[in-house]
Amino acid sequence: MVGVGDEELLVSKQQRRLEKCGECPVFANDLKQLHADGNPLAPLLSDLLSENHHQKSQIQSLVSFLDNKTLEMRFLHELGSVLQSSVDLEEVLSVALTAITAGKGFGMNRAFLLLCDREAGILKGYLGIGPRNLDEASQVWDEIVHDDNDLQTLSQNFRQNKLSSERAKFHDLLEQLTVPLDNKDHIIIKALDGRHPIMVQGAFQHPDVPPELARLLGVDSFLLMPLISRNRRIGMIIADNCITNRPITEEDMHSLETFGFPVAFAIERASLYDKLQVELNRVTEAGEKLKEQQELIVRMENMALVGRITSSIAHSVRNPLMIIGGFARSMLKNSPASDPKRTFIESIVAETHQLEGVLDEILNYSDSLYPTRDFWDVSQLIESMLRDSSDTLTALGYATGYSPGHDLPPVYIDFKQLSYCLRTLLQNDINGVGTDLSISISSQKEDDLVIIRIEDNSRHISQAELDHLLVPFSETRDLGAGLGLALCKTMLEKQGIPFVAQADEYNGIHYTIALPTSKEEQS
Amino acid sequence: MSTLLVVDDEANIRLLYAEELKDEGYDVVTAASSAEAAEKLQGGLFDLAVLDIKLKNESGIDLLQKLVKERHEMPVILCSAFSCYKDDFSAWLADGYVVKSGDLTELKQEIARVLAKKAQKIKAEL
Repeated sequence: MVGVGDEELLVSKQQRRLEKCGECPVFANDLKQLHADGNPLAPLLSDLLSENHHQKSQIQSLVSFLDNKTLEMRFLHELGSVLQSSVDLEEVLSVALTAITAGKGFGMNRAFLLLCDREAGILKGYLGIGPRNLDEASQVWDEIVHDDNDLQTLSQNFRQNKLSSERAKFHDLLEQLTVPLDNKDHIIIKALDGRHPIMVQGAFQHPDVPPELARLLGVDSFLLMPLISRNRRIGMIIADNCITNRPITEEDMHSLETFGFPVAFAIERASLYDKLQVELNRVTEAGEKLKEQQELIVRMENMALVGRITSSIAHSVRNPLMIIGGFARSMLKNSPASDPKRTFIESIVAETHQLEGVLDEILNYSDSLYPTRDFWDVSQLIESMLRDSSDTLTALGYATGYSPGHDLPPVYIDFKQLSYCLRTLLQNDINGVGTDLSISISSQKEDDLVIIRIEDNSRHISQAELDHLLVPFSETRDLGAGLGLALCKTMLEKQGIPFVAQADEYNGIHYTIALPTSKEEQS
Repeated sequence: MSTLLVVDDEANIRLLYAEELKDEGYDVVTAASSAEAAEKLQGGLFDLAVLDIKLKNESGIDLLQKLVKERHEMPVILCSAFSCYKDDFSAWLADGYVVKSGDLTELKQEIARVLAKKAQKIKAEL
């Protein structure tokens, strides 16, 4: 009888006889009859038949072996493809551990990956995969059988859905799986330095296995597979069959050893890629900083140019202005009080005086482009500024008070510019219109800063009006025109000094200036 | 009566200074350049010099250094449109520093202060 798949037997009568006749009951009866008849060919035919059975059995065994090897090759090929195409460490690790534990792979129950930290000089638990108990194992394996995914899909699922939970699950165990690289007596380091896998059996009684390691893993037999790439120690895989207790065979060990090389190489490559990425980010960041610096230099050059032009124009204007103002004053001095043109001359004097004020502000602005910072005593600065302004303040009926903080450290500032700013804030105060003519100044150390607070209770304006004053060349009815507060803000900002001006229509204006106490670059 | 030497390259400024300082009771001699100043200095004795820092193509600071070296008994007041020189160590040789302004009160006060100081010094030496 020729069945399905045996069609080729129809072509060859000899082949048909070899394959089928030995199993045919008619032939068996004929052979039996020949034996009964004492036919001398009967024993020979029996021997030939027996030998044929033996050969067929051997061939089937070889075919089965080849099939297994083909599957293994296919799996390693698939694994290699995935590992070769990835430079993501998490992906590589997911693939590696999935391959070890997947039924389609090496079929181990559980695997741990330890990685070498050369800087710390330790081999440290990094990732674990596997069920904790039989119930969990049954559930996971059922899912795997049901889904029937390939290795890549399995590892992707693991990475997306289980990586974090597996990390958390084995966190404590992984923390304890830390071995110093110089502990040459430890079995894990022995396997790593020996560059060959070690199959541990009878772990609880094994002389080379530390009892704490056996207790930690909770299994009697496990496999230590070192990961070596280009003679560099990359890490270690510990695999076991903690659920099924299936014995780990020599064949398992050799298969895993073959698998270890591409895994180690892929891990090293991914780690190097990570490091490269970090360096690349650092270089990119440095490039961006360099670009910012270049832009800053260009901006500073532009500002310096603007400063030089402003300064040059201002100085060119000052001489004629001085001549006009000076002669107007001279004429005013010598004109009789009844002179009808005296008002005109007074106007010239007043206008030139105002213009000179604006010029001073512009020149101060030019100076503000180049702050020169050093360490100064802030109390000395405030007291000196108050002393210089005391006559004017007293004449206008202002009461001032300064409360210096205790143990104030020196502040890192441009003395000239900060003096100008404080004077300007007071000058604005002097032009106040409120009834409570008091200004209180205080200084206080807060963390690495010295905070100056100026509370002007005389002026009651809105925050919007105050914000308007912080814009250069703005003008308000009460506070006059020009740069004033805006210049203060610019000067302080250029020194990286935070300046806050808050207005309250009922409580006046409060200024806060935070001065640095160190040379560290201010943000 | 004190005699002052005013050095400034602007004719109108020289005129303004001369008029205003004469009103204050000083004798005023003016010069437009370093060379003219040197010439005037050779021709008479001066109690004080008022120098502009920018003299067309010359530097008032150079002239200041020369005066301090050759006429150290004569005080010098720098008068300039450049307020920044006030903080420049090269200007520290001067006995006074005034930023130019149509209001000459500060200059007049500074001249009076420096002359009084000089008088005190001479008195102390006697």
